[in-house]
Amino acid sequence: MNTNNNVYTVIYTTVIVVVVAALLAFVSQSLKAKQDANEKADTISQMLTSASYASKAELGKLGNVAVLDKYAEEIQEAFVINLDGEVLRELSTSRENIEVYSPKALKRQNYNIKGGPNKSGEPELPVFVFKNGKTVVPIYGAGLWGPIWGYMSFESDLRTIGGAYFDHESETAGLGAKIKDDPSFQAEFVGEVADFSSANVFDIVKGGAPKDADGKSVVDNKIDAITGATMTSNGLDAAIDTWLAAYAKYFTRNVEE
Amino acid sequence: MDAKLKETILNPIFKGNPITVLVLGICSSLAVTVTLKGALVMALSVIVVTGISSLILSLLRNTIPGRVRIIVQLVVVAMMVILVDQILKSFEATYAIDKQLSVYIGLIITNCIVMGRIEAFALGNKPWPSFLDGVANGAGYGMILIIVAFFRELLGSGTLFGVDILNWMGYVPNNLVILPPFALILLGCIVWVQRSIQKDLQEK
Repeated sequence: MNTNNNVYTVIYTTVIVVVVAALLAFVSQSLKAKQDANEKADTISQMLTSASYASKAELGKLGNVAVLDKYAEEIQEAFVINLDGEVLRELSTSRENIEVYSPKALKRQNYNIKGGPNKSGEPELPVFVFKNGKTVVPIYGAGLWGPIWGYMSFESDLRTIGGAYFDHESETAGLGAKIKDDPSFQAEFVGEVADFSSANVFDIVKGGAPKDADGKSVVDNKIDAITGATMTSNGLDAAIDTWLAAYAKYFTRNVEE
Repeated sequence: MDAKLKETILNPIFKGNPITVLVLGICSSLAVTVTLKGALVMALSVIVVTGISSLILSLLRNTIPGRVRIIVQLVVVAMMVILVDQILKSFEATYAIDKQLSVYIGLIITNCIVMGRIEAFALGNKPWPSFLDGVANGAGYGMILIIVAFFRELLGSGTLFGVDILNWMGYVPNNLVILPPFALILLGCIVWVQRSIQKDLQEK
């Protein structure tokens, strides 16, 4: 057979591309449910970590089902607010249908908060209140190489930070990736206080945050940046400022009441 | 097993190693060798992709139109890469590691070893030897990846597979080792060792 004639070539490539496309579409559809479940469990375990229920590694060992069980057990209420701090709608917290905001959903809301050409509507800001009194809110922004996101929890005074967990898509391993991998960086947030009255709600300071005589970080809204990861630290700082400023009315209004 | 088949399997592991002798697949060996676990999953993924793509293309070799053969190879390799990525994402055990490797799994398609072996071997040989050639080349690549990752994780983070090895005794992790240039230095050392063992590789 002459495999070099034009008709044969066109038919051959068409058939092979269609077959491959059909196969991939089928695989993608049949695995989607599992992938979404993994992503959801991952998101939930990040929130539980920031609310200091367990470390991310411990939750990873539990497996998806146990993580979802734990969330359903520990969540008090979850809802979505707007920029004025008004509750727009409740988020389902029942075990069968847990509603959370995936990084993809946060990205959309990030555009809505910042405005600009990608804005698709008014910002919807999720708030998760856990039974241990901690309020968890997400943050989202740009690192050096790709998106970074995470969750910060606040104590019941709605100012003191109770915990934080951050994740990233492609920050440099060993440097920027420390926002996720280094528990001591996330631990720095604990006990610090967010300043909702300024636009600079929280600072990650290059060169070091103020220290007391014992070398401990002073209780303020500043922590140390990561050495060798200035761009990631700045990106995280900007992400936290943008998101917490969006929540400012919600947090401060509850204080006044 | 006849001698030729044995040669097909053993050659890529040492004498004709794709990284140290053919100098293919350098880019990804710099990117994914920061941790051993990442390198291991990457190595297995590449073995699967090279093995099965070589098998499929060897089965199709007599029907592929010569003028579009690179495109056909590309379609098959891309399919395999996407399949591997989708499957890694679907299991609880591999989801976290897939997240860590992120784009690099998808970038297996740009790994010169895959297309190189298909073009050089699978299109001219029967399916079974082609499959073995693909797997062996993937394994040769993976072996170097794991050697490099061993040193980078040990010296750069003080751990192996995430288990603390050096840090407890006050070792300060070396940040240079984490950065890609150090992988290149390590690769250079491996090539050096291999060339001093295997004299016929040395230029006169």
